[in-house]
Amino acid sequence: MYKKMISFIAVITLLIGATIYSMITGSIEVTAGELIAGLFGGMNENVEIIKDLRLPRIIISLFAGAALAVSGVLLQAVLRNPLAEPGIIGVSSGAGFVSIIMITFFPALYFYTPLFSFIGGMIAFLLVYMFSWKSGLNPLRMILIGVAVNALFTGLSEFLSSQNASSMMSGVSVTSSTLTMTTWSDVEIIALYGSIGLIIAFLVYAWCNHLGLKDKTLKNLGFNVNRARFIISVIAVLLASTATAIAGMFAFIGLLIPHIGRTLVGNDHKLLIPFSALAGALLIVVADTLGRTIADPIEIPASIIMAIIGGPFLIFMLRKSDRIYGN
Amino acid sequence: MEIRDVTFSYSDKVKRLHHVEAEIKEGQITTIIGPNGSGKSTLLSVLTNNNQPQEGQVILDGKAINQYKPKELAKRLGVVHQQNTAPSDMTVERLVHYGRLPYQNPFSPKNDKDEAMVKWALKSTGLYEKRNETIDTLSGGQQQRVWIAMALAQDTPYLFLDEPTSNLDIYYQYEILELVKRLCNEHGLTIVMVLHDINQAIQYSHQLIAMKRGHIIAKGNPKEIVTNQLMKEVYGINIMVKNDENVGLYILPLGI
Repeated sequence: MYKKMISFIAVITLLIGATIYSMITGSIEVTAGELIAGLFGGMNENVEIIKDLRLPRIIISLFAGAALAVSGVLLQAVLRNPLAEPGIIGVSSGAGFVSIIMITFFPALYFYTPLFSFIGGMIAFLLVYMFSWKSGLNPLRMILIGVAVNALFTGLSEFLSSQNASSMMSGVSVTSSTLTMTTWSDVEIIALYGSIGLIIAFLVYAWCNHLGLKDKTLKNLGFNVNRARFIISVIAVLLASTATAIAGMFAFIGLLIPHIGRTLVGNDHKLLIPFSALAGALLIVVADTLGRTIADPIEIPASIIMAIIGGPFLIFMLRKSDRIYGN
Repeated sequence: MEIRDVTFSYSDKVKRLHHVEAEIKEGQITTIIGPNGSGKSTLLSVLTNNNQPQEGQVILDGKAINQYKPKELAKRLGVVHQQNTAPSDMTVERLVHYGRLPYQNPFSPKNDKDEAMVKWALKSTGLYEKRNETIDTLSGGQQQRVWIAMALAQDTPYLFLDEPTSNLDIYYQYEILELVKRLCNEHGLTIVMVLHDINQAIQYSHQLIAMKRGHIIAKGNPKEIVTNQLMKEVYGINIMVKNDENVGLYILPLGI
């Protein structure tokens, strides 16, 4: 219990610290005092620039990180597999593909992009689910199908953006994060869909816990396994699609954060979901801040930093995957 | 509970149960025996509505079991499966609380009755002192008792156990069997289980159902049905049936 409380206090403290640090650091620098005075008083010119350019990307990083980490937790519960992750199993690239279609062909519907990309994410998820479900999900089989689905949608997206290379949308990236170009209207979208998804995700924590038991055990307890699994999947895909549509692709965060969460606060989703949301937000804010500052004036997308951390971590997870669930 | 002319096959062509008919007597222990692949566990899965028969019905309290709402059925039948999994850091008490799931809905939190049943289930299985431990720290026998406790917390008149003694040391096998006997004698539970060991089945059951290749070969009181001829037919072995005045009926396998 003590360890769990410390973990929560630590992640909240780090999150607040990292967010403030992220706001005051970069090509324009202010002190924390100036920042607070500027945010509430509103006369400091530098703070105004930060508010317009840097604050949106920070808020988006927070939501995207929380959404992707929680999406990972939910997918792992549904698929009973600690390696399930929206990036690895292709949900993000499915969502990304549809959002590129939307941005390219229907820019007027921008506000609804998360809903359309949700359809793409859902298609990818159903493909993986259908092909890897064979009286239970084999972890490696699922990863392999996920790789294929991921390759398919990434390929389609790249095809689409190379076709449009000359148009004004050529800047849309298929495989990396797009935090640089975000605005306050993006914040509105991700805050709306992200908050809804995160709140519902927390409300179904008990179902996620139930899914730790076998299907037949749950069935004999009168629990409707398929309904729970479907609803949780929909929330997971919604969260991942929203994050992808607004912030771009981030691999591995849904893998890394829940794993750390399980070691620190345990498998109870009542704690794991909120902890993962906080830690996921922290990780993306840190990755984005690092990306902006380490090679200044060149920006390294946060997704690249995530990939560099996450790749080795996946190998580590694969090695110990059979020991994580069950007894 | 009545099993009426049940025929069942998985998606493959092979029929796993052929026109099976039997009656489960209330307040007694019924044990299904038979060699591997004889359909013992399949029959159990049909009785617990985990598999639905293509033909025939299983009648419980005058109603076919597939007509019950899932939660209503879960208030009548408790099932302990052969293999179970749970997150390794789950405590004994939390796992046993899952037995109360059929009685709960999102708007009614745990009540005193839930607590009382969980406490009773933990005490009956001798796990009360271990209630705050996580299940990965328990031995195989203790883990099996946790799953039985969960089914007991379900507060059902019927309890089904699929090979509850498999993979356990002999001491724990008898510990489970004694528990089953006590639950039947003291609490009036109707128990249906699958066992591999014929002598254990004879010793602890009021009724036996002997199966082979999806057919029921014999059913009834062990004293009446266990014969050399039946064992030869069901298992293909020669046995000697002994009736010791102290230990009762038992069999001695002699060879093939």
